[in-house]
Formats: sequence, C-alpha cells, structure tokens
Amino acid sequence: MLTRLSGGHVVDPANGRDEVADIYLEDGLVVDPPTNGRAADETIDCAGLVVMAGAIDIHSHIAGGHVNTARLLLPEWHRAFQARPGETALSRVGWTTEETGLLYAEMGFTTVVEPAMAPSSALHAHLELADTPIIDKATLVVLGNDDMLMSMIREGESASAIADYVAWTVSASRALGVKCINAGGSAAFKENVRKFDFDDVVPDYGVSSRQIVKTLQKAVTDLGIPHPLHVHCNNLGVPGASSDSIEATIRAAEGDKLHLAHIQFYGYGTEGKRRFSSRGQKLAELVNATPEVTVDIGQVMFGQTVTISSDELRQFAGRGQASPKKSIIFDHEANGGGVVPMNYKQKSYFNALQWAIGLELFLLIEDPSRVFFTTDHPNGAPFTTYPDIFALLMDRSVRARWLDALPKSVVKMTSLPEIEREYTLNEIATMTRASPARLLGTSDRGHLGAGAVADIAVYRPGDDKAKMFGKAAYVLKDGDLMVRDGQVVKRKFGRTLTLRPEPDKAMKARLDRYFDDRYGLSARWFEVPDGALGREDPFKVVPCRT
Amino acid sequence: MTVDTAWIDGQPATRDDALRAAADLVGRARQPFVGGLRTDVAGLRSALSLASQTGAIVDHRGSAAIYPLIVASREGGAFLAAPAEMRRRADRVLILGDMATAIGADVLRVVTEREPDLGIGTRGSDRQFMTLGSKKVASPGSLETSHVDCAGAEIVDVLGMVRAAMAGRRTSEGALGEETLATIASFLKDAAFACIVFAPAEFGDLGCEQIFGLVADLNETTRASTLPVVAEPDAMGAALQATWTAGFPLRVSYGRGAAEHDETLFASERQLSGKGEADVAILVDAIFAEKTAGTAQLAMEFAIPAIMLTGDPDAAANAKIAFHVATAGRDHDGVLYDPRFGSFVAKAAQTTSELPTAADILDALSEHLGERARKAA
Repeated sequence: MLTRLSGGHVVDPANGRDEVADIYLEDGLVVDPPTNGRAADETIDCAGLVVMAGAIDIHSHIAGGHVNTARLLLPEWHRAFQARPGETALSRVGWTTEETGLLYAEMGFTTVVEPAMAPSSALHAHLELADTPIIDKATLVVLGNDDMLMSMIREGESASAIADYVAWTVSASRALGVKCINAGGSAAFKENVRKFDFDDVVPDYGVSSRQIVKTLQKAVTDLGIPHPLHVHCNNLGVPGASSDSIEATIRAAEGDKLHLAHIQFYGYGTEGKRRFSSRGQKLAELVNATPEVTVDIGQVMFGQTVTISSDELRQFAGRGQASPKKSIIFDHEANGGGVVPMNYKQKSYFNALQWAIGLELFLLIEDPSRVFFTTDHPNGAPFTTYPDIFALLMDRSVRARWLDALPKSVVKMTSLPEIEREYTLNEIATMTRASPARLLGTSDRGHLGAGAVADIAVYRPGDDKAKMFGKAAYVLKDGDLMVRDGQVVKRKFGRTLTLRPEPDKAMKARLDRYFDDRYGLSARWFEVPDGALGREDPFKVVPCRT
Repeated sequence: MTVDTAWIDGQPATRDDALRAAADLVGRARQPFVGGLRTDVAGLRSALSLASQTGAIVDHRGSAAIYPLIVASREGGAFLAAPAEMRRRADRVLILGDMATAIGADVLRVVTEREPDLGIGTRGSDRQFMTLGSKKVASPGSLETSHVDCAGAEIVDVLGMVRAAMAGRRTSEGALGEETLATIASFLKDAAFACIVFAPAEFGDLGCEQIFGLVADLNETTRASTLPVVAEPDAMGAALQATWTAGFPLRVSYGRGAAEHDETLFASERQLSGKGEADVAILVDAIFAEKTAGTAQLAMEFAIPAIMLTGDPDAAANAKIAFHVATAGRDHDGVLYDPRFGSFVAKAAQTTSELPTAADILDALSEHLGERARKAA
C-alpha cells in the first residue's frame, strides 16, 4: 500500500531538506515519489504540520535489573498506589514497560537505547525490551569493571585478544555498542576504595581507569562497532573532581572517537561560598575544541525522580542525599550499581544550578550534531519532561521565565541569562534524528530519504513548543499509523537493534572455562537466544564497519 | 490409545471442551484470581495478560516467602549481592537462622565451592563461616564453621545489639552476652568483604530491615552485602516480571482496570481461602525444579472453584477443570529465574513433549474469553 504524507513542512537535515513536500511510504519504508502517476492508496494530510523522522533517544534507562529495582523500590510513585493519581510525582514517568513504549511513541520517539546493560542481566534487559511496545530498542553492554578485561590488561594480552573478548560480550548480550561506567571505580569500591580518579589504579590489578578506557576505545574501534565507546566518567557529581575527570577523559580521546555521557553531571566547579559552581562554559569550550568527541547532556529538571546507575561507587556515596531516604546498592559481578531516589528542587541552589549547567551545555556547544538530547532518564529527569526541554532550547523567553523562578544566587552563577541562542527545528531534528542515527550506525533511520524505515513523527507547530513536542499529531512506525493527536491508536512490538560480531572460537572456549571455573556459572547463561524473548523476529542486525 | 490431557469435574474431556468450560467459569466469575504462577517467563506473560483481560487478582503461591525481603527493601533500602561475586570476593560469610542452609543450598554451593580470589584482602585466604542460629547446621561443603548458638526469636535483637556495639553504644547483655556480641561484630567488621546469608521468611519485614541496617552500618567503614535465599526462587522471578509488567511485585488486582497493589488484600493465601474477593481461581503449577526441603509445605490449597494447569495431573484432583501441561525447563525450552545467577536464564528442554505449554493454554483461554465478549457485545 502506498501512503502519502501530503504537504507537510519536511525537516530532514540528513538529506538537506527543510521545505514543504510530500513523503511517500510503502511496505514499511520511505520510497521515492511515484514517477508513473500512480496514486497513493492512502493520504494523510500534513498541511501546516511539521514532518520529521521518528526521534532517537541514545541514552535512557528503560530496562533491566536496576530499572526494575527502581520500580520495586518506589511503589508509592506508581499512580495506582496513591489516592489522587493525577498528582503523583512520577505519574507520567512510564513506570511499566508498556507505559514506557506508549509514552515515548506519543512524543514521536521511535527508537530508544538502554545504555547500561550488565552482561549478567542481558537476558533480563531484553525480556523487558521485548515487552516494551511500539518503539525499536537497543542496548549498550557495560564493560570496564569486569575481572576478565582488567586481568587481560594486567597480563599484557594482545589488543586482538581483548577485541575477541569484547566481540563475544557484544554478541552474546545482543548489544549495539559498549559502555564503560566509572572504569575501574566499582571494582575499586569492592576493595573499599571511596574515591577514584582517571589515573588511579584498581587495587590488585594495577590497571588505571585511563588504561581501561583506552583499551576499550581501541577494541571498539578495531571491531568496527559503529557507536564509539560510550563513557560515563569517574567522579560523577563531585564538584571539582567531576570536571577534572571529564576534562582528562576528553583529552584522552586523542583523535579517536569517544562519546561522553550525561556531561551535565560533570560541569561542576568549587567556586563560590557554597563550593558549587558552573563549569558549563569551560566544558562546552573543550567539547567545541575536540571534534572527535560527542556528548549527551543528562539535563536535570525539577521534581521527584530516581537515579539508576551501574556506578556503584558514586551511588553508594550519593545515598546520603536519597529522597525519600532509601536506596538499594548492588554488589554484582563487574559493575554492580545502585538505585537512589532524588528530588530536584527548584528552590535548591544546587539543583537549580544543575538545571542551568545542562542548558548552558546544550546552548554553548556549537555543533548540534555532536550534542545529544538526554536527561539520562530517569537520573536527571523522566523522559516525559522532554517537551519542556525542547521549549527551553527553542525559546529564550521560556528560559527567562524559568530563570525568574530560580533563587537569585543561582542566576548570578550561570551564564544562561546572557545566552541568546534558540535552537531551530532543523537543529532539533539534527540532534534527535540525523545525528543519533549516524552515531549508532543505524543508517536505516533518522532521516526521510528513500529506503529509510518509515518511522515518522508529525507535529502540529505552534508558539508553545512543549505542547508541540508533547503530543505528536501523527506517529508512524514502520509505516503503520500508531499515534493520532497524541494518543496511541494501534499497538505492536518493535524490534531490538543489535550488532552480531562473529565471536572467535578460541575465545568462546576460553570464556566457557573462565565462567565455569571462576564464577561457577555457565557462559551460556550470559547469552540471549532469539527464542527466549517470545516475539517473532525480535532482533534487527546492524552491520559492523569493515 | 490417547492420553487424557484435560478434565472437567475429574472426568476426561477434550481440550476444547475444557477450555470452553473454563471460559464459562471465568466469564461468570465476579472476581477471578490468577495464581500459582509456577511457570516460565512466557507463561507469566500470558498469565498477567489474562489477568489484565479478566480484571483478576494476581499472586504467586510462594510470594509470602519473598515479601519480607520486598517490604524491607522498599521501606528502608537494601544491600544485595550476586552469589557468583560473593564466591570470588567474600572472605567472611555469616549465615543467619536455621532455614538458609536448607533452602539456599544451591546458592551456598556457588559461594563455597572455591576460596575467594578477588581482592588484595581476600585473595588466597581461607573463607571463614559463622552460623548464628538455634542449631548447629551442617557446614556448607566440608568447610570449617564457627557456630554461635542463639534461639531463632532472639537473632534480630542480637543483630541490633551488634549494631549498637559497633557504634560504641551501651547495650544490655541480651541473649548472648557482651563477649559473643563482640565476637560477631569483629567477625563482620574485620572482613575485607563480609556476606550475610539469610532466609527472609524466617525474619519477617522488621528482621530483614535490621539485617540491611547492619550491613549499611558495616559499609560505613568496610564492605559488606547480603544474599537472601528463598524456598521457591521462581516467586522472585514472577515478582520481577510482575514489576515490569504491572509496576508492582505481585499481589496486584486489575479489578478496576489499571493495576492496583495491596500486599495484604491480594495475597494468594487470602484469596484462595475463600475469605477473599476471588470466586474462581486459575492456578498454574508447571515448572520443573528439584524438590528442596523448604518446598514441601507449599502445596497449593484452595477453597474456591479452580482451573488448574499442572505438570502433575494427580495434584489437580480437586480442580473443577484441569489441564495437563508441559513443565518449563524439562519438557520445553523456557526462561526461568535462577537464584545462583540472580537473574533470568534460558533453559533448554531435557526431553520432548506433546503437551501444550502453560502459555499455550492461558492464551487459548484468553482467546475463548475474547470470543465470548465479542459475542456478548
């Protein structure tokens, strides 16, 4: 069936289009307009509307053991647990897998990446993703605190052997990329180390955080994994130390690609009487000057949320700030992690400055193709706050209103009031469509050229950008109309995008012995078989670069 | 000869007739209950979907054993470890109470099979065990264990006194005396990584909270975590799956549309006793697991009409309608929660079976109910 989206304002920066045009779809793909006069079987009138590819979220914690623990820890935030559902703190957070899929789709997002899947909970994460409707999904598998990798580095094993290990992990866990979270920090914490910098060494391994990051960066590059190593730096949230850590990590990119996650949490200095200040401008300048790095923001928004992280050391340290006062800390294989609830308050100097630092970074990093739109859901804020963030980026007057409500002491400590930049629709589409697809190596999406999957978001433009992006006029997934006027009208399940590098047979045999002997576990338990997920054709394989 | 695989009132029936009868029973019910839930991830997905469709209450038959852990964790927080990490990391293991070694034998075996080998403070040292309980339980494996004799009812108080002693506060003599309290405290404090193993069912909500509080205190200066063990670990898997599906760890009702949670009102025991709201039960018992000492007491009893999906038809004699189904992990591939891994594991079938899976029957029942609803409309 040929479908025509007629007369919309097509914003498709990947193909250099920003014009009123028709888009044609057939068999789940975008196709060229018919040249033989063939009429469309169905027309969706998009006159006066904005047509973009479906949005891609590269970093949102939506599935897996830690996410599920957050649900478990905080029953009081679920709408059915409270007397007045409309007013609960997280009533729009998307607390179940089903709500997550539906709420993302309603905003025009059609691909979401779960960025912290432990190898040991890969199957759990994929089971949750298989129950998340409409959207396509992907995962990043976490390495960098695991005994195997650190032992291989300590023993001076070859780069190819390490790449074989990384390939096996990516393939077994069905990941789309590799993430490194406080490299060595969780392992050090298990040895009762309480502070861990980029050049500190993990006790018993003699391996530094820098060595781990550089080793993984090389393995990811050598394997042709499209998405560069995704790094969560050391000392997240620590004034001064966080900024030093991210600066050292960015400089360590050394010309090779590296992605830095939720950098807002590293833009903290120690100036001022509260010993907490913005280094947003400095960090933005460093990112601008380092073309090999990409970043996402991890914007903080005000209100109740929960932090979910495989950075066990920092989650343990942060549990004192838990609100409500409860947290769960995991000592699992490799990274472990923690779940700590957080209430970011507009009247708090610290929280308000965090909010401002995130926006400084969004607005001062010049190239929208190197900065990605995230709240590190739910760590900075639930993904349902995205419409408000779009409005803050696109409308200076909205920022001014928000700034007016902040403590005056905060306004003095941020350059935000002086920043005039307003994101254009084209820049929004670059940041949330074209560039994420390039970053992930998923060339079948993020654009509206012929051959792209027909994942399309259509918005009703207006002065209120939050309203525009909060409820899409239409969302099509693989060519099927799923959302109309912000409401889901059809349900189906998307697929999970994975790499499938061929694991080396000798490494496979070695890991069989390793997991059995050292951990008493079968290596098979780390594998995610297609048949385990109970969905037809659950994966779509993305090729590695040659 | 055909083998019977479905029964109505104890009489053999075709599967279709039994499904129609089951749909009639559920369709007429004021409040269905979906329980047992001894099945794999696919079966649980179907069970939760059926519950959502029929407005049912949902619980696992073994959830009472995990609820103290859930309640303590969500009220006050927790420190939780993976068995495999403790195997390599923990140099001191404290086993609390009398149940843990029996019901957690698999998990303890993972921990005890070899000496710790990760960490400067632990590598190469002999792992030390201490048991605190009313009887000197068999040592895990052949390992040397020091035993502190303590009545079960006193253990939680003793742990409170250990916490007070560690904080430098004065305590009463308690059940064990100052010297023994100091021995326990130093066993934990002087560890490079201490691990506490316990059965939540033995200690209740407040007892579990005390254990997590002790571990939180220890982590101020050293490292420590816990390994809770339960009699029917698939209850934990069901709780996790219910949490991502419904937002809550079982004991959920779809009676008013969206999932609602009440740990007392929607408990399996209450609903199956006939004193709850449920007037018909759909019970699933289709998992392959080695019987352990702790599971014998958990036979399913029910005082309301029941539709049973079971791997053992002899156990369904009292059911109004029964289906013989394949057991996950033996008769068909299935994803099951494995406590040794602390997560879900894909398990291959050990044999071939013509029997339908629990998910097949639950989905077919959903289909019949949907058809009835369409006809009624």
